[in-house]
Amino acid sequence: MSRVAVDTGLFVAITLVYLVLTVGLGYLGYRRTKEDDDYMVAGRKIHPVVLALSYGATFISTSAIVGFGGVAAQLGMGMIWLTVLNIGLGIFIAFVFFGKRTRRIGHNLRAVTFPDLMGKCYGSPFMRYAAGLVIVVGMPLYTAAILIGGAQFITSTLQIPYTTALIAFAVIVALYVVLGGLIAVMYTDALQGGIMLVGMAVLLVLTYVQLGGVVEAHTALAGMSDLVPEALAAGGMTGWASMPEFGSPIWLTLVTTLVLGVGIGVLAQPQLVVRFMTVKDSRALNRAVLVGGPFILMMTGVAFTVGALTNVYFYRTEGVIALAAATDGNVDTIIPNFINVSMPDLFVVIFMLTLLAAAMSTLSSLFHVMGTSLGFDVLRRTDSGRAAMRPIQIATIVMIVVSIVLAFVMPGSIIARATAMFMGLCASAFLPTYAHAMYSSSPSLRAAKMSLVTGTVAWFAWTAFVHVKESAALGLSNLLFGVPALLSAPWQDVDPLVVALPLSTAALLVGWALDRHEVTAEEPAGAV
Amino acid sequence: MFGIPDPAIWVGYLLALGLTLACIVYGLLNWNKGVDGEQGGS
Repeated sequence: MSRVAVDTGLFVAITLVYLVLTVGLGYLGYRRTKEDDDYMVAGRKIHPVVLALSYGATFISTSAIVGFGGVAAQLGMGMIWLTVLNIGLGIFIAFVFFGKRTRRIGHNLRAVTFPDLMGKCYGSPFMRYAAGLVIVVGMPLYTAAILIGGAQFITSTLQIPYTTALIAFAVIVALYVVLGGLIAVMYTDALQGGIMLVGMAVLLVLTYVQLGGVVEAHTALAGMSDLVPEALAAGGMTGWASMPEFGSPIWLTLVTTLVLGVGIGVLAQPQLVVRFMTVKDSRALNRAVLVGGPFILMMTGVAFTVGALTNVYFYRTEGVIALAAATDGNVDTIIPNFINVSMPDLFVVIFMLTLLAAAMSTLSSLFHVMGTSLGFDVLRRTDSGRAAMRPIQIATIVMIVVSIVLAFVMPGSIIARATAMFMGLCASAFLPTYAHAMYSSSPSLRAAKMSLVTGTVAWFAWTAFVHVKESAALGLSNLLFGVPALLSAPWQDVDPLVVALPLSTAALLVGWALDRHEVTAEEPAGAV
Repeated sequence: MFGIPDPAIWVGYLLALGLTLACIVYGLLNWNKGVDGEQGGS
């Protein structure tokens, strides 16, 4: 991924300080974990600033900065629409319209995980098992992608073997997740979020300084539209400071996969939803909104803007666009390459730490959610509804091992795609069901089951048989039907979420209407 | 605007900044609302 030549001695020294602080906070979390509720939902008394930074740092992984920043270098500033959704849906709507109800209902029902919340809202073990299974099956792919990104980065920065980097990275994070639970995860997230905030703020300022100011940088980028490569122009790209042609393949990829897929997907992410249950009242959520909005703007807004502007820098200094400056044509290398050649040494080190922090904060949250889903939601033997820490710790270790194994067999170029895929799956499977549970006084179990199953099956079917970027790689369509994708363009460019989410929403509405129809039909009979 | 000729892009930037501002204003206006037992803020 990154090919940053960095002062290794300085980086190692600063990284050691950072790791000591991380381990210290992990130990603090371990010491404060007395009850099962502490391990699962951080005792429901987390500080609002810690919540906001933890939510944001979990939300934003290395792939959001380097992977999606690289995509902005390739496709341009249209990625800013993902930032609009990240702040509008991912923070404001999530905290104000979902967070408060999730906290209150979760507290009243004593729910401790997202599947547990679903199971208790619908009074159905099926909902708990099914939601837990989607997480246990789907999340290791996303986790493995984060592991790959972190290991690639450590390997290229510290010049240590990939296998050693991957295992060491996983073990360090596993240590504080397994022992300290969600308190340790959120405390370390807050430190990592703070580092990310500093890193991205400095990156934005230095980039504009390098390019002669805000307006001059943007004007220069807009003037490069005639340099768009032929292949991208044929796909509908018009420049780096303008949107692609409406309805073109690149427009469809930008809008349906990147903007809608990731932007909407964040609303039903189990590792984010559980954070709403870690605070004691709605006041903490109100306060967290104030920190969360600016934090996300400084993460994705900066990554996408700087990503697009790297074209100006590389054109001025090397006479090529950013894509041509990428190592082996890999867009993930554009941001690190830009920082390496354009920024002062000290900032290169700060940015490396930013990427490490981004990877660790997301990874720790995924480890925790996978462990609690397997150990508590799927394999729970008793019906007491109480969490027992030891089986969950063992399940967490099992899921970490599964993720590490997957990371060794998955291709290295899958980071951004796996992120978008997991977010799309979560939205398709969970969003209508979650919204129904939060906003209906007597949520319909039949509607929830129909929605969850329809969303999951539709998402997998479209991924395996239609969306050519995945179906061609999976090979299932080719094996059964002899073609990489069953439908032609433009359908094969439409993201699975755009099809599966409306279907799962429709399934919920049909199930709900059937329930209401039956209740109405029974009422006169009951009155006789 | 800001050197960006395409309204579809600068409107996106304005919205991103406006929503960030909305988050800040919302947080300030509801800073002390929503303590257990109150309804405030939503």
